[in-house]
Amino acid sequence: MSLLDILLELGHGVFYTILVTLVCSMTGLTVGLLLASLHRLSIRSISLLIDFYTYVFRGVPVLVLLFIVYFGLPGIGLKPPPLMAMALSLGLVSGAYLTEVFRGAFDSVDPAEIVAAEAMGMSRIQVLRYIEIPQMLRFAIPGMVNEFTSVLKYSPFAYTVGIPEITKEAMILSATTLRGVEVYFAVGVLYFVIYRVLLVGIQLIQKHYEIPSMKEAAV
Amino acid sequence: MTVIAIQGLMKKFDEQEVLSGIDLNLQQGEVKVLMGSSGSGKSTLLRCINRLVEPSAGSIQFQGKEILGPNVDVRQLRKQIGFVFQQFALYSHLTVLENVTLALRKLESMSLKQANEKALHELSQFEMTAHQSKYPSQLSGGQKQRVAITRALAMDPAVLLLDEPTSALDPVMSRDVGDLINRLHQNGITMLCVTHDLGLARAISDRVLFLDKGVIRANERIDVLANDHSDPELQAFFGKRE
Repeated sequence: MSLLDILLELGHGVFYTILVTLVCSMTGLTVGLLLASLHRLSIRSISLLIDFYTYVFRGVPVLVLLFIVYFGLPGIGLKPPPLMAMALSLGLVSGAYLTEVFRGAFDSVDPAEIVAAEAMGMSRIQVLRYIEIPQMLRFAIPGMVNEFTSVLKYSPFAYTVGIPEITKEAMILSATTLRGVEVYFAVGVLYFVIYRVLLVGIQLIQKHYEIPSMKEAAV
Repeated sequence: MTVIAIQGLMKKFDEQEVLSGIDLNLQQGEVKVLMGSSGSGKSTLLRCINRLVEPSAGSIQFQGKEILGPNVDVRQLRKQIGFVFQQFALYSHLTVLENVTLALRKLESMSLKQANEKALHELSQFEMTAHQSKYPSQLSGGQKQRVAITRALAMDPAVLLLDEPTSALDPVMSRDVGDLINRLHQNGITMLCVTHDLGLARAISDRVLFLDKGVIRANERIDVLANDHSDPELQAFFGKRE
């Protein structure tokens, strides 16, 4: 069995790895953006809740959280499907990290521009929507790439809840062919290729929204 | 017609009194220049007028209506008061055209076409049409200030407040902004300009208000103030500049 054969065998798992990565990254992005924006409104009670969320979810291991969601929740009558369980564990952990990334990026927005928009008569929400978030997202790109990469690297946990992603496929293939070195080398190659594709995709998006001389960090 | 009438305006930051009873009137079509040393309260006074800073006491009437108090629509008020900032404060992620159209679209509910037409008309008044697709970082200081003024004027404000409009510009660009303000004056725009720049003050107005330690100490012609050797504060401020 050549390396190409192994890669082709694992091809089915690539789809699920990408699916898990996308679903968890988008969950994290949505949660992070929403919570960082709410935090920006400086409403004390909401900010405290958000701080509590980021504090807890950054401190709990993803696998433990996944087991709580997938194996624990059925005990109280809730049975989330595997992909939802990943979104509620890895996605929410990612959301906690991205909340912090976005919070830092918000601080890079020039306060004078915010005051100028308020002086024009914009509401706080309009300033957030039209001035702060578009700039913040550009500043946050390096942190977002790091977080999406982490999500990709944590995606193998999906096999514990029965999602047939690359690692699960590799375990089966390794057990049936007894060629563990080649199989897991191929797994490494596949993750690296997915990582590179993810990076190129983000660089294209970054290029599209690039502003001359704006303080964007390179990915 | 009086556009702005301020009476007994006070502002305290904690225990520090920054404005201590300001009285000031601004008539329709008038240009007033407010000078004073750093920390004298000039910018705070401007920011009180559109309530970016909440005054501690006193009264501000805008077009005959009191604008201090809880029942005032502050956003509506701000739409009628143009504000030009010291450091331009252009939105760095938007082009020149988008900087001008944003408020028109989001606050005046204009369509993109209407907003673009109005913005391009305003930009043409300041010879900035050719730069409409540039970002603020691609403009010179003088061009940025022109865009900032265009952005404020596009909303058709009843008054334009300028907070040290030339402090970030070289002398040539400062003269350019002075000429621009004079053109606006000729077009009947009411303006209150805070500046340290004596050249600009001379260029746009005969008289200046001199603010010191939160009070207006003088409302006089510049040459009179500059030659007033009896007041050490005025001498310290204007004497060195002559």
